[in-house]
Amino acid sequence: MNISYNWLRELVAVELSAEELRERLTMRGLEVEAVTQAGDDYVLEVAVLSNRADLLSHLGVAREVSVLMGVPLRQPDATPVQAEGRAENFTAVEIVDPDLCPRYAARIVRSVKVGPSPEWLVKRLQAVGQRPINNIADITNYVMLETGQPLHAFDLEKLYERRIVVRRAQTGEKLMTLDDVERELDAEMLVIADGARAVALAGVMGGADSEISATTRDVLIESAYFSPASVRRTARKLGMQTDASDRFERGTDYEGVVRAQARCVALICELAGGAATVDAIDVYPQKIEPPTVTLRLPRVRALTGLPIEPQDTIRILTALGCEPVQAAVLGGEQMPADTTALELATVYPGATFSFAGPSWRTDIRIEEDLIEEVGRHFGYEHMQDELPAANAVGEYRAHEERRRAARRALVAQGYSEAINFSFIDAAHDEQFELLPALKARANDGTDHFVTLANPIIETAARMRPSLLSGLLAAVRHNFNHGTRDVSLFETGRVFAARGADEERPHERDALALVTTGRVREAERATASREVDFYDLKGALEAAIEAMKTGALEFAATDARHLRAGQAARVSLAGQAIGTVGRLADEIAAAYKFRQPVYVAEMDFAALLAARPAPARYTPLPRFPSVVRDVTLLVDRHVSFAELRRAVLELHIAYCQSAEVIDVYEGEKLPEDTRAITLRLEFRAPERTLRDEEVDVLYGQIVAALGQKFAAHLR
Amino acid sequence: MRRWILALDISHWTLTLDVRLMEQPEAVREAFEQEFGRFARFRGAESAAFDGLRLADVETTLRELSDLRTRHTGKKSALANLKKQIGRAAAEERAQFAQAVQQLEARIAEEIAKVERALQDTAARLRTERERLDVTLPGRRIRRGHVHPINLIRQRLEDIFVAMGYTVEDGPEIENDFYNFTALNIPESHPARSPQDTFYTTDGFALRSQTSTVQIHAMQRRQPPLRVIAPGKVFRRDTPDATHNPMFFQIEGLVVDRGISMAHLKGTVTEFLRRLFGTDVRTRFRPSYFPFTEPSAEFDFSCFKCGGTGCALCKQSGWIELGGSGMVHPNVLRAAGVDPAEFSGFAFGFGIDRMCILLYDLDDIRLLFENDVRFLEQFD
Repeated sequence: MNISYNWLRELVAVELSAEELRERLTMRGLEVEAVTQAGDDYVLEVAVLSNRADLLSHLGVAREVSVLMGVPLRQPDATPVQAEGRAENFTAVEIVDPDLCPRYAARIVRSVKVGPSPEWLVKRLQAVGQRPINNIADITNYVMLETGQPLHAFDLEKLYERRIVVRRAQTGEKLMTLDDVERELDAEMLVIADGARAVALAGVMGGADSEISATTRDVLIESAYFSPASVRRTARKLGMQTDASDRFERGTDYEGVVRAQARCVALICELAGGAATVDAIDVYPQKIEPPTVTLRLPRVRALTGLPIEPQDTIRILTALGCEPVQAAVLGGEQMPADTTALELATVYPGATFSFAGPSWRTDIRIEEDLIEEVGRHFGYEHMQDELPAANAVGEYRAHEERRRAARRALVAQGYSEAINFSFIDAAHDEQFELLPALKARANDGTDHFVTLANPIIETAARMRPSLLSGLLAAVRHNFNHGTRDVSLFETGRVFAARGADEERPHERDALALVTTGRVREAERATASREVDFYDLKGALEAAIEAMKTGALEFAATDARHLRAGQAARVSLAGQAIGTVGRLADEIAAAYKFRQPVYVAEMDFAALLAARPAPARYTPLPRFPSVVRDVTLLVDRHVSFAELRRAVLELHIAYCQSAEVIDVYEGEKLPEDTRAITLRLEFRAPERTLRDEEVDVLYGQIVAALGQKFAAHLR
Repeated sequence: MRRWILALDISHWTLTLDVRLMEQPEAVREAFEQEFGRFARFRGAESAAFDGLRLADVETTLRELSDLRTRHTGKKSALANLKKQIGRAAAEERAQFAQAVQQLEARIAEEIAKVERALQDTAARLRTERERLDVTLPGRRIRRGHVHPINLIRQRLEDIFVAMGYTVEDGPEIENDFYNFTALNIPESHPARSPQDTFYTTDGFALRSQTSTVQIHAMQRRQPPLRVIAPGKVFRRDTPDATHNPMFFQIEGLVVDRGISMAHLKGTVTEFLRRLFGTDVRTRFRPSYFPFTEPSAEFDFSCFKCGGTGCALCKQSGWIELGGSGMVHPNVLRAAGVDPAEFSGFAFGFGIDRMCILLYDLDDIRLLFENDVRFLEQFD
């Protein structure tokens, strides 16, 4: 809302400069975004809060200034210079639908001379950004900007039967509005009609047929109170937004209808000649009662923490237009009738008052609303810094330590943390194997995705079921910008639709990793080698180790998005929680990746919730161990894990561990075989083992492996 | 005296032989001196003879010296031969001869040792020189990654609030109408509910448009008194540009107890900002309007860059706008099952992305979700 500084000063005697006013208003909740000079005037751009319809007018802002400066408000003159005859002699008003139009007032000015507005009026309108049209239209605009009451002028002669009917439109009824657009109406829209047809869209825009023209002689000035919800609905439905609808939607001053009209009529008589009727036809079948709001004086201090005296409260609220209508003190004692509210509050600081909210304030409904008004005008700048008494100890989210440990570990492994948008392209739907937790919860297969009804772009309508599409897009982005060695991780929620008997869609914390390119050392341009599967697996293991969940188990698997033979299913304590492997060629091709990309996705929620594997002390061995290495030539499909398990399952008490030393495959070996060298460690807790004993145990193990895997000793 | 005795015995055969014997050490000495001559210049590591010599030269010379020692002091050397003759020498001459041989042996050993020491010292010095490191080269370690700046700040904020006695809470990112709007006292007609502003799923859920939703979950989960913060992702239908993203991060604070006032709100926000930016931070509350608080206020804090005197960051105002706040609306308390007659509370919220922009001087927040490694690497 643009406020003219000169105009404002006509309504309230303000000694402050425009810049000073800016500061003061901003601290009272009327944020002045800019002050610009316009000739000998200044324009203050006020960002009006959405609950303050009354501030969409100079009078409303002037009222705030009057309270903050402690000076009276000057209501503008509203007495027409010439008045004769009663309005009912010239027109009639009927409200058919009072639910949508609780009040409608019509007043006539006869024998006006339509022409350009005087210069002062033109300047003022232009200063606040309005385009001048003709004196009649300009005056209705002017009074709206002054009082907040939208007004409309009809050419009386163009109204059939010279009368007004306020009714709902008929379905399919048409109206050419002032902007020369023909509108098709429906039965929920309120129109102003004459004896025959709709002539205006109530509260939104007038009709072209009854518009003021150069030949107009008699005008009917409409001032009304329309239901905010009705105007909002009509404006939305027709995609219209006007100065009038803006104000009616938020709620106008139902008691100010006639006064604003009088102001308008007075200005017309003054600037366009003519004679007004002495009164208006004011149809107001049921008077709107302002809400009565109870205020317990001590609550003002209690809620704001400001040192506000009861007198301050009464003074501020009265100045804002809140009428104290009743007062009571503890015990229900009624107040003597001849004491003022101010006196009462001084004597009884614990009293409870009832206030009638001003008719222009639609936002005052409850005690807290009154307290805000008092606090705001007392000034938040007087607020002290206080801390609430301690009543609790701080607490992180469950498993926060694990979240951070995983993050630290991955960062140490060279992975940077990514955050991607939660909505992705539906084209990724079938690309990735989903986490077991989501797969299990997906309802019978038809549509287990969460979809946005109103995405910003069509290619971002799916709530991601996997973090991988985002990470791969990030890899692509980095490739495009010349970075080819990329290691990223992300934690965040993935989504699945709710089942038929479930209340909400599923959300689950996931952890995903991606790596591609070369292994890079810090601050060195050179890279040691290309990353491979084991780098990614190692990073994952480092994160899991830092989370102290106990070790993961890996088993060869097939997964939709992973290349066959380089894919592992990952389990924790026997429960599948994700996959790791090399990105399948088809997906890599879709992203135009020409170098291997490795990805992993884990059920982070399951990792976070896993039973902790705390460190435990084992006494240090007192006797030395004996190690024996064995190199086995086995089929390529025999995994290290199988060999190791076979050794450990022999339950040879003195055999403590079997670890891999080396894996060799190449031309020197028969096709489809490889050589795995294991190191076996033997130890007895109570004595040093003799070589002959170890030889026997070693022999048992080698024989068992040979039998089970047709392994040859090399 | 000795010569005289020798002269005395000159006519004797054996004596003649013995005179030759006595001359032998001298001959051996001369033979040694002759061969040793070329090494003699290396006596003393400071000798000019070492100038410009390379390590390989020194090592060769050391080897040659070693050969020389073998030749002149080894088992087959002339010196060894002399030593064998000591036993055979005439009794009366033996002592004298032995002494001469010993003196010779000591002298040869000393000469060689002296040069050898000088050569070894030089070799060691040259070797050290050759193995001198460029200590300015980078250390050897894997190139580490970086935590996302949003999470860096989020962790810092959580640490501060936990230390102030707050519990960190979270709620769903896909919300139903009750939590996202109704319980927050947002009326049916409010524009925030429109599909222009809020994302909806096809089955009628909303992507939460503010972390205030967690207020309701938190109050339902735990009865007051309570103090919680809720950092998290929120969504609004803004087209991405330098200052907007359709997804961003907020943090919400909520305190509900008996006798909570706006002064507690101000004190809490001030205390938190001081812990983040330093003890000289001041805060300013301006009246505002939010459906879920009454009274409502926006809060600013004194610019951490200029201290409030005015600079580019605070657009010369001395103040930085941060977030919204207020006293929890009684309807919100009621919606969460808390009696507003007994309890009051304050709530505040601000953007973590906004904090990111302020702390790191970002000029385009789209960078936050592009995950360009060159961007991520800049934060710690």
